[in-house]
Amino acid sequence: MIELKFILNGKEVKIVTEPNIRLIELLRERFDLTGTKEGCGIGECGACTVLMNGRAVNSCLLFAAQAEGSEIVTIEGISNGDALTPLQKNFLLYGAVQCGFCTPGMILSASALLGQNPNLPTRSDPALSGETRRAGQASPTEEEIKDALAGNLCRCTGYKQIIEAVKETAKELSLERRHFENGKTT
Amino acid sequence: MMPSFEILFPKDLKEALSMLASSGKNTRIIAGGTDIIPGMNQESNRFKNTEVLVDINKVSEIKGVQLVRDRISIGAAETFSGILQNPVIQKELPLLWKSAGTIGSVQIRNRATIAGNFVNNAPCADTVPVMLVYNSTIEIESLSSKREITLNEFLSAPYKIKLNKDEIVTRINIPIPPKKFVGDFYKLGRRRAVAISRITLALLMSFNSNVIDEIRIASGAVTPIGTRFFDLEKFAKGKKMEDQFLRTLASKLGEQILQITGLRWSSEYKLPVVQQMFYQMLKGIEPVLLRQARIESD
Repeated sequence: MIELKFILNGKEVKIVTEPNIRLIELLRERFDLTGTKEGCGIGECGACTVLMNGRAVNSCLLFAAQAEGSEIVTIEGISNGDALTPLQKNFLLYGAVQCGFCTPGMILSASALLGQNPNLPTRSDPALSGETRRAGQASPTEEEIKDALAGNLCRCTGYKQIIEAVKETAKELSLERRHFENGKTT
Repeated sequence: MMPSFEILFPKDLKEALSMLASSGKNTRIIAGGTDIIPGMNQESNRFKNTEVLVDINKVSEIKGVQLVRDRISIGAAETFSGILQNPVIQKELPLLWKSAGTIGSVQIRNRATIAGNFVNNAPCADTVPVMLVYNSTIEIESLSSKREITLNEFLSAPYKIKLNKDEIVTRINIPIPPKKFVGDFYKLGRRRAVAISRITLALLMSFNSNVIDEIRIASGAVTPIGTRFFDLEKFAKGKKMEDQFLRTLASKLGEQILQITGLRWSSEYKLPVVQQMFYQMLKGIEPVLLRQARIESD
């Protein structure tokens, strides 16, 4: 048995587990966070995507024990209570959700890309992925969006609506940022 | 069903090496885990009987990218995301940078490590052909020894490497090629992302007073392990970059690969693809090569 301590959706948690439990099982079975889905179990479909220290990772490719000391965000921790994030709103608006199985993973991968994560580490960590460091920079190109979502399969939408939802969110966030920056300088 | 095992988290290299030295033969090192974890979960034979996993993710000595004189030293546990974000690698080792970007997905690249790509010595390891044409060497440590060997020597046979049970690969050292070297990397998978490579080719060459000065060629996935074609490289040295010669060279590469692997069900498709793509790579870098040669001679 291993005793683990990590930050889960902004709260510090402690749990005792067997070493051969994967992170996805810990999240679903011990914390009841069933928004994280298991599709393929071999890192190809991305339905199990969560954020680990701000980066998108497959929770089926991690042992729970490897989460020790890290910061994990699941789909349940992405919004602020019942208030949806701009990305979530745009997923609804653009019809980017059909059966919904891939949606949590898609939202988390896209959130990492847009740096839109309420629990993002505030320290300037040079090891953070490009996807996360993008926060505060120009909007991603369509190619960059496709690359960020390449590890998330969707069998319903054909991806078009998902890419549009991400693109629109990026546009809104950069407008918001410009507005904020302008407000600061004047 | 995931088998039972014990997992250890050493804090530094010394502790990791002590754990390896004192543990039994069914001990395995785990870093990114993108191969081991699904493999164990599917009860793959490769990971059967694993009793202890030594997780080296907290060992800082084997992370990071350093520029040491004329070579770039990459920590064995550096992730592919780390490599893709490194401007020095992007500038000085563009083939490594390109091949790293073809691996898996963002999620996989955020975990998978550079040494993990070759310590399995799977034929399809994307970055191996590239590291072979860069003449990479690897540093290996145990509690009592430290050695450095070429990657070519380290990769002994499919899924076999020259690493003792008490050793860890600590760094990959890649000499920065002189400016006149130009190259390319090609990967063919069954789709554009999250794809196991079916064919990989790496090419690095320099040009001198109208002839090929040096050329380095390597393949992956179509050969049982990542392979350099030293005979072909010798054959091409000193030859003119004429179209007919490039066609001959591409054709010979295909023949040599066929000789190594023997005729397979996929040969009918893969042989012409290898030959055509290698020819395209040569043609693609030709203008850059000529420009670099002109700059050098000025």
